[in-house]
Amino acid sequence: MKSPLFTGVLTGLLALGGILGAQDTTAPLLKSGDRIVLLGNTLFERARLYGQLETTLQIATGPEVNGITLRNLGWSGDSVFGDSRSYFGPPSEGRDRLARNLGETAPTVVLISYGTEAAMSVDQGWTDDAAHAAATAAGLEASRDVFLAGYQALIELVRKSSVFDLREIVLISPPPLENLGAPLPDQTENNRRLAIFRDGIRELAKKNSLRFVDLFAQMGGDSFKGDVANPALTEDGVHYSEAGHAVVARELAKGLGYSEGSLIDRNLPAYEELKAAIIEKDRLFFHRWRPANETYLFLFRKHEQGQNAKEIPMFDPLIVAQEKQIEEARARVFAGMPRN
Amino acid sequence: MKLPFSTRVATVLTLGALTSLSHAQNGLRDIPDTAIEAQLKAFKLVEGAKINLFASEPAVANPTHMNWDQRGRLWVVSSPLYPHIQPGQEEQDKIVILEDTTGDGVADKHTDFATNLHIPTAVLPGDGGVYVANSVEVLFLRDTDGDDVADERKVVLSGFGTEDTHHLLHTFRWGPEGMIWMNQSIYIHTHLETPYGVRRLLGGGMWHFRPETRRAEVFMKGLVNSWGHVFDEWGQSFMTDGAGGQGINFVFPRSVFLSSPGASRILPGLNPGQPKHCGVEALTGRHVPDTLQGALAAPDFRGNRINLFQLTDKSSAYTSTQIADLVSSTHGAFRPIDVKMGPDGAVYVADWYNPIIQHGEVDFRDPRRDHAHGRIWRITFDGKDLVKAPDLTKASEADLIQHSNAPEGWTREAAMVELRSRNPEAVEAALKSAPAPAGVDPDLFALRKVWTSQALNRFDAVGAAALLSSSNHKARAAALRAIYYDAATNPEALALAEKAIADPHPQVRLWGVSVLAQLSSSETVKIALRALEGIEMDEFLDFALWSICREHADRWTAAAQSGNPFATTSQLLFAVRALNQAVAVPQILSALGSGELSSDAQVAGLADWISKVGSAADLNALFEFTLTEGAKPSHQTTILQALASAGNLRKLQPAGDTARLSRFLHSPDLATFTSAASLAGLWKLESAREGLKAAFLDSAANEAKGRAALEGLIALGGPPTATMLDELAKTAGADYLLRSLAVIGRTRMNPNEGAKLAVAVLTDAPEGKDLHGIYDAFLANQQGPLALAAALENATLPQAIALAGVQKASSAATKPEALVAALQKAGTIKPMKMALTPAEMEAMMEQVATIGDPHAGEEIYRRAALQCVVCHAIGGAGGVIGPDMVSIGASAPVDYLIESLLEPSKKIKEGYHTTLVTLKNGDSFAGAIAREDTNELVVRDAVGKENRIPKTGIASNQISPVSLMPPGLTAQLREDEFIHLVRFLSELGKDGAFKTPSNRFIRHWQTLMPHPSTRDRIGHYGSKIFTEAISDYVWAPVYATVAGAVPVGELPEVEGRGKNLMGVARSFIEVKNAGPVKLKIAGKLADIELFHDDSKVALPGDGTGAEIVIEVTEPGRQKLTFAGLKGFGLERVTVEVLDDASKAELVELKNF
Repeated sequence: MKSPLFTGVLTGLLALGGILGAQDTTAPLLKSGDRIVLLGNTLFERARLYGQLETTLQIATGPEVNGITLRNLGWSGDSVFGDSRSYFGPPSEGRDRLARNLGETAPTVVLISYGTEAAMSVDQGWTDDAAHAAATAAGLEASRDVFLAGYQALIELVRKSSVFDLREIVLISPPPLENLGAPLPDQTENNRRLAIFRDGIRELAKKNSLRFVDLFAQMGGDSFKGDVANPALTEDGVHYSEAGHAVVARELAKGLGYSEGSLIDRNLPAYEELKAAIIEKDRLFFHRWRPANETYLFLFRKHEQGQNAKEIPMFDPLIVAQEKQIEEARARVFAGMPRN
Repeated sequence: MKLPFSTRVATVLTLGALTSLSHAQNGLRDIPDTAIEAQLKAFKLVEGAKINLFASEPAVANPTHMNWDQRGRLWVVSSPLYPHIQPGQEEQDKIVILEDTTGDGVADKHTDFATNLHIPTAVLPGDGGVYVANSVEVLFLRDTDGDDVADERKVVLSGFGTEDTHHLLHTFRWGPEGMIWMNQSIYIHTHLETPYGVRRLLGGGMWHFRPETRRAEVFMKGLVNSWGHVFDEWGQSFMTDGAGGQGINFVFPRSVFLSSPGASRILPGLNPGQPKHCGVEALTGRHVPDTLQGALAAPDFRGNRINLFQLTDKSSAYTSTQIADLVSSTHGAFRPIDVKMGPDGAVYVADWYNPIIQHGEVDFRDPRRDHAHGRIWRITFDGKDLVKAPDLTKASEADLIQHSNAPEGWTREAAMVELRSRNPEAVEAALKSAPAPAGVDPDLFALRKVWTSQALNRFDAVGAAALLSSSNHKARAAALRAIYYDAATNPEALALAEKAIADPHPQVRLWGVSVLAQLSSSETVKIALRALEGIEMDEFLDFALWSICREHADRWTAAAQSGNPFATTSQLLFAVRALNQAVAVPQILSALGSGELSSDAQVAGLADWISKVGSAADLNALFEFTLTEGAKPSHQTTILQALASAGNLRKLQPAGDTARLSRFLHSPDLATFTSAASLAGLWKLESAREGLKAAFLDSAANEAKGRAALEGLIALGGPPTATMLDELAKTAGADYLLRSLAVIGRTRMNPNEGAKLAVAVLTDAPEGKDLHGIYDAFLANQQGPLALAAALENATLPQAIALAGVQKASSAATKPEALVAALQKAGTIKPMKMALTPAEMEAMMEQVATIGDPHAGEEIYRRAALQCVVCHAIGGAGGVIGPDMVSIGASAPVDYLIESLLEPSKKIKEGYHTTLVTLKNGDSFAGAIAREDTNELVVRDAVGKENRIPKTGIASNQISPVSLMPPGLTAQLREDEFIHLVRFLSELGKDGAFKTPSNRFIRHWQTLMPHPSTRDRIGHYGSKIFTEAISDYVWAPVYATVAGAVPVGELPEVEGRGKNLMGVARSFIEVKNAGPVKLKIAGKLADIELFHDDSKVALPGDGTGAEIVIEVTEPGRQKLTFAGLKGFGLERVTVEVLDDASKAELVELKNF
């Protein structure tokens, strides 16, 4: 496996028995050498700022599992059609870019989370994909059907593009929305819609024999009565705060087959070091896969600054070095806190 | 003797070799002195103003934006990291708080509030912290422990694009209603998940965002680099553009401007041809001199100066007049990028401080980029006391409400921001009992109370509705804007908007339409269209109506299937034209037949619309109308043109007896004949062939008619046309025009056949010039270049005509390399060496600096043979095909200029990329996309012609890496001339003789070409004959020099009395009201005669300048003509309009 975006990973110890779509979907997800890709929108994009999601997974696996790397391809406002990834072209170009990114990151495991953007934009339209834009504005059912059809196509795109050792795709329902009280809007209706989208995602997972994590249910979405959240886990009813992301991370780990007991005390100094190392790796990776000045470096003005595009792969060794820091920090966490 | 440029480079090299060793790198000699003193010495200020340094490095380096907090501290974001992070580089860009604790106008305290940012481009204190644009996100940073260092960092919004780091989210500003306003530029694609759903903005535009509700909405779209936004006293929005060059832009909801992707219609700015700006601020308060009150200060960062503009009302929008610069500098690193009024009433200027400002054109890692310096300047005025800023944080709510009515914009805004942090109940109570502030317009006070209620997010809808009864239209418009934001949930909004639509003032109607666009009522369009009635429409109101007809189409189109949902057929026509679909066609055609729609504008609009959307039967109905007894000739002409356009673009013709066209083939009117000839071909009317042939063969007498006939013959096609053209082209003695046209026609029919004819005809080209466009015909066809290249194999061409072909082909978007090679071989041309080595470049730059003469360079620039002015304007005067050169010298390094002249395709300016559109039939069009809608694309080609292309016919559409500017244009220059030209360009926009002055000089002129009748007639009637509408007078464009003058020596020699030769030029001004208009004329007056329309204006008998007054009796377009005697010492004539644009507007003559 040669991959510019996923350099220096251990690939030798992959379990060979897993055929995509036919695995045990309750066992702990991760194996040594796994390359995880996060694919989604704001929830995942902001996870890079807080670091808990990966930190929690790195701890949850325990010391016996090693060499796990993660690439966050979350992009605010994205849809299953790839709207946010499309730059100057239609969403189909966003899907082309995603396919390239998947080829480059060569994931063994892809965690996908979409749905909030669509459930919240019922009647407004939430994609510019010409074939589907009108239907996304034509009521809840039409919007959900288009969403699920787009999601199915996305799953197929992930399968087709992750050509190396893709082992598992996991569908993750969006976490619930919160009511934070006026003047922020009441999200009761949106949560009701989100539950309908969640049901659809669950069916989709079943149909495709994929693992499904019901963050919506795990975080109380089904028992939502419209009360004002206390304590609030979101900044605005939609986007999870740093504290909220800690909860999302724990619930996600549980949904991926890890027990409460495997999630150690996060106040340990080594845990903070690990998290800081992960945040720094994500920062470096962000400049690698979503560099600023794309127009000049790679697109239609590259005749002006294309000579500087050579700098972008120069982030790769920095990422590799940072990954070593992560491994070391992780080892210190386990050294300081042997598992029960 | 003239040598090709490349052979001369060697000479330059020897001259330059001695000096080149002393310079380590290209252009480093131009790095200005970084000392503060050097900058201070270089400033020139508006009368009565002073400037002092408020802050500088190391406290602040490369500032990008600034805003004040309520305590009067200046928050500045700066980005030494710009333009691009390097691998391994930390994200260490800063926010610094600058404070003047002693009140002496100098910051004596600075605190780094945050030092971990990535190219931050906006900063806005408020709500107990500060909002920052940090590339992909808006952050809210807060200090929780009182040390003025941020210790809390939250993401407020995320999903902003970073495709270009000078386009990032920017220009944060508090609106008077307590929302945050923020802008993004052309290449940015933004995707936000808000609590109200996904919001996307793909391209430039402006957002408004209310932090407490997290509602973010798009307000307007477009502008290239929308780096400035300011509210006037009544809360109207004005924006500036760092690349669009139209000065001040009046924006309103859903308005769309230059460069918005996919826009089918855009609005103009208020000052076309102005320099580009970053930032804009209104000068307000007691410290500002009366003459500058309310003026908008807009930094021209390229030209190292700050322009000032005054606004006056004009219909639903405004007129903007440029006045004297606030400040200008000869220091090349003075880069004013933001202006803000300060708490003391002074004007503060953020100076990005950089000799290099380009992003794309200059390498990201160019060592000349400055990453260390930055300046904040403070401008004060003599004879005016500074203002003592109130302590707002300690003021009571009642006092804050008084402060929100202060004469100073700073105090008003800071008071509003402070009120947002107070207990809203207490503020509401204080609002209820607030006494009217002395000296404040009661409407303005009422409006500010409404704004304060909005700032608390407790909108006073009753107060806003009451303002709609004000006698002041500005108050009524402002009330509607206040209603606009939450109109969807306001039960009164529909009734209020309906009332506004009938308002006597167009601006109130504009806002009425804007409110309607927010509502879900099925009646919105029906109500909105009433705005067409009873007033004179203008472009802005027309746009708003056009927009709502489209956005709310599903609310009226069903009803328009069989009837008319609107009050009049004229309104229905407006709506269906806006929609650009075949809706209500029978109703409209019936109104045409009955005479209900009968004005020229209505018929032209109707015909244009049917030509785009109508069926063959609809086209036939139009055609029938032209044949009816008593049909107006003007109607016939416009309809035939529309039918031709339907035939060309849609391959559609009337379903009826088309032979009846023949009557129009005898029309003496050229426009009618042209359309009829084209239609005869399109409709395959064989009976028309002989008539067309006769007209074609008469091309020498009437070329336009001949070319029109050729179009018809080509479309008719078949062996008869082919044989005729073949024979004509092969007749060596035939008229050269006819032979050329024959080749062109044959090429259009079949490029291979045309190519067989072309070599012989090109060989005979007089003076080696392709006078009639043979090369263009080949380049405009996909197979053309290869066909011609094949025909040139084993052929020879005279060198000159081959060179002309190389130049044309080299600038073609298709990059026809085989043709270029074939032409070079046929003409035995050695490829020109256009690229300089670094050493040659170094030597050349030295020469430009030492011996270049910008005055000589301007004359060279203006030479017809060089064609510079055909494509480029300076300060709006000149062609529109290439970028305006107004401040190119102040923004582009000399090596960049040289390179761009020699290799135009190497660096292409934003917005000037060539798009190559290839049609399924093999035709290709290259140029800039002027606009597009769902049906067609309009491409403006290298000669400024707009080509309409139906989208269904497009096979491919790609951005070409080739500039529209032909390479080798400067090859005809001697080396010294080239150096002068570069020197001239390098001075443009720098302080001095080549910075376009803000005076309102008439810059667009037409000059009379020599005419045989002038000599005889002038003896009888005097120079007045130049004002007459002689039908075969030919007027050619001529533009004023940078200094605003018309060089009389350059004008064609028109024969006058005896042996006198004259230069004659005319221009126009648009005058709104009858009365006197003041002009200033400069030049040797004894030799000038001046006419206003056809009356001679009395000038003093001698002297070199005079102020004069013309009396306008009929408002509208006024013609000014001057005749200058040549050869007696009259060098140049300058005409300046002294009254401002609200009285007399300058007229731009772009197409004539």
